[in-house]
Amino acid sequence: MKQLFGKWGKGLGIYLALMILFPFVMPDEYYRSVGIVIGLHAIVSIGLCLVMGLAGQISLGQAAFWGIGAYTSAVLTTKFGLTPLLGLIASAIVPALFAFILGRAIAGLQGYYLAMATLAFGYIVQIGISEWEPVTGGASGMISIPKIAFFGDSELSMYYLIWGIVTCVLLFSLNLMHSRIGRAFRAIHKSEIAATSMGVDVRKFKLNAFVVSGMFAGISGGLYAHYMGILDPQPFGMHESIKFLTMVVIGGMTSIWGALIGALLIGFISEGLVLLSEVVPGLQGDVDTIVFGAILVLIVMFMPEGLVPRIRSMYEKAQAKKAPAKTEQRMEGKAAT
Amino acid sequence: MTELLQYVANGLVSGGIYAIVAVGFITIYNVSKVINLAQGEFLMLGGMVTVAMIGMNVPYALAALLAILIVTLIGVMMQRYVIAYVKKASPISLIILTIGISTLIRGLASFIWGKDAYALDPITSNQPISLGGVNIAQQSIWILAAVLIILFLLWYLMDRTMLGKKINACSVNPMAARLMGISPAKMSMLAFGISGATGAIAGIVIAPLSVTSYDIGVLLGIKGFSAAILGGLGNPLGAAVAAFILGIVESLGAGYISSGMKDAIAFLVLIAMLLVKPSGIFGERSVGKGGL
Repeated sequence: MKQLFGKWGKGLGIYLALMILFPFVMPDEYYRSVGIVIGLHAIVSIGLCLVMGLAGQISLGQAAFWGIGAYTSAVLTTKFGLTPLLGLIASAIVPALFAFILGRAIAGLQGYYLAMATLAFGYIVQIGISEWEPVTGGASGMISIPKIAFFGDSELSMYYLIWGIVTCVLLFSLNLMHSRIGRAFRAIHKSEIAATSMGVDVRKFKLNAFVVSGMFAGISGGLYAHYMGILDPQPFGMHESIKFLTMVVIGGMTSIWGALIGALLIGFISEGLVLLSEVVPGLQGDVDTIVFGAILVLIVMFMPEGLVPRIRSMYEKAQAKKAPAKTEQRMEGKAAT
Repeated sequence: MTELLQYVANGLVSGGIYAIVAVGFITIYNVSKVINLAQGEFLMLGGMVTVAMIGMNVPYALAALLAILIVTLIGVMMQRYVIAYVKKASPISLIILTIGISTLIRGLASFIWGKDAYALDPITSNQPISLGGVNIAQQSIWILAAVLIILFLLWYLMDRTMLGKKINACSVNPMAARLMGISPAKMSMLAFGISGATGAIAGIVIAPLSVTSYDIGVLLGIKGFSAAILGGLGNPLGAAVAAFILGIVESLGAGYISSGMKDAIAFLVLIAMLLVKPSGIFGERSVGKGGL
C-alpha cells in the first residue's frame, strides 16, 4: 500500500477527501451532474495524457474511442439484453481492440501523420455510427439504455462509480508513470533514438500507451451511455476530441495530475459558458470552441509545459530559495555558540 | 458509360479543390516545416467573407478581392504573431498550435455568421453545359480554370522567379539562406500569405457550387492533406495529381458504393496509403517513420 499511495501522499489525500465529500457539500442535483461529467472526461483525458505526455504522440480522434465504448455497451444492453456490468466490460475491450488495430496499422507514423490519421479515424467512426442505422439507430440515435443504480439513488451511485474508476485510472497511471515503463516512456519522449539504443522497444511502448488510452476512453464512453440513457452520434466528433486535447494541454502534457486538473478546469469553463449564454442573449452555443482554440494557442505560446508542471516548478523554486537561507541561519547560530 | 464519365467529371472538380488545399499545405511545409492544420479554414474564410461582403452590398468582384486580401493578411499574421513566436517548438506543440488556430477560427466564424450554410451566386449562369450526355455546371469550369491558373502561377513563381529561388533556398537550408541575405522568416510569412490567398480563391469559387458554412474547413483540410501525403509531402506536382485521383476515386465510390460513405472513402484511402507507403506515390524520402 505504501508503494501504491506513499509517493503522492498529500495530493492524493486532498483529492480523495474532495472527491468523497463533494456530493454532500454540493447536494444540488445540478452540481452533482457536473461532477459526473467531469469524472467521465477525466478518465479520457488521463488516458490521452499517457499517449501525449509519455509517448509524445498525439491523438485527435479520442472522441471516437469514447463513442465506440458508448455504443458498444448501449447496443449490448438494449439489443442483446446483457447486464450493464458486462456491457461496461465490453466497452473497455472493444475500443482497446480498435486502438490496437489502428495502432498496428499506423505503427510507422509520428507527428503530423499520426495526428491526421487519428483525425481521419475519428471521422470514419462518426460517419460509421451515423450510417449503421440498424444497429446504432443512425442520426436519430438510441433510447432507453438501462441506468446503473446501487443504493436506489441512480445519480449518487453513478457519481461514486465514476469517481471510483477515475481513482483507479489515476493510481494506475501515476504508478505506470513512475515505474520502469514510465521511465522508458519518458526516455522516448526526450529522444527516441537514445531510448532505442538503450534497449527500449519504442513501438511496443507507444502501441501499449495507445491501447490503454483507447480502453480508458471506452470505459468512460460506456459509463456515459448508461448515465445519459440516450445516445446519438453528435457528441463523438472532432469538437469533443479537441475538448479532450485542451484538457491535457492546459493541465500539462507530462503530468497525470495535470490531466485531471485539466478536466476539472475545462468542465468548469464549459459550465460557466453555458450559464453565461443563458444570461447574455447574443452568445451562441459554440463560444466554447473559441475558448478551447484560444486556450490551445495561448498555452503553447506562453506556457508550453502546462499549468501543473509550471506551478510545481514555481513551488520548487520557492522552496529552494528558502532552504539555503535556513542553512545560513543555522551556520550563524553555530558560530555564535 | 455516360454515368461513369459524369462521376469522373464530378471527381475532377472536387479533386481540383483538394489540389489547391494540398499545394497550400506544401507551400508552407517546404519553407517552415510546419503543417498548417488551419489550411481548410482559409477556404472557409474565403467563401464566408465574400458572402458577408456581398451582404453589405459590396459588388461581387470587389467582395471576392477583399476576401482574398483579408485571408492573405490572416495567413501572414498567423505566421508573424503566432508561428514565429514559438521558434523552437516540437512537432507536437506545432500540431496543437495549428489545431488551436483552426478551432479558434472555426469558433469565431460560427460566432459571427452562425451555423447556417450560405451559397454565392455562380460567376456565370446556373445553366449546366451538356457534353455528350455529361452535365457540367458552368461553375465547375470556373473552378477548374481557377485551379489550373493557380497551379500554373505557383509553379511559375517557385520555378522561374528569383523570389521562388529564395523560397526554395530556405526550404533546403535556412541557415545557408540567411548567410546569403535571405530572411527565412520573411519567406515563411510569404508562404503563409500565398497559401492564404490560394485557399481563399478556392473557397470563393466553390461557394456557388457547394454551400459554404463555418465548418467546411475541417473536411477540406483533411482531404487536402490526404492528397499531399498521397503525392509525397513536399512535391506540389505529385500532390496535384494525387488530389485529382483522390477526387475521382471519391466520386466513383460515392456513385457506386454509398453517398453517405463519400467522406469516409478519402480517409480510408489516407490510412491505407499511410499503411503501405507513407512517403507517398511520388515521394522519395522516407518521412513520418518511426512513430507509434
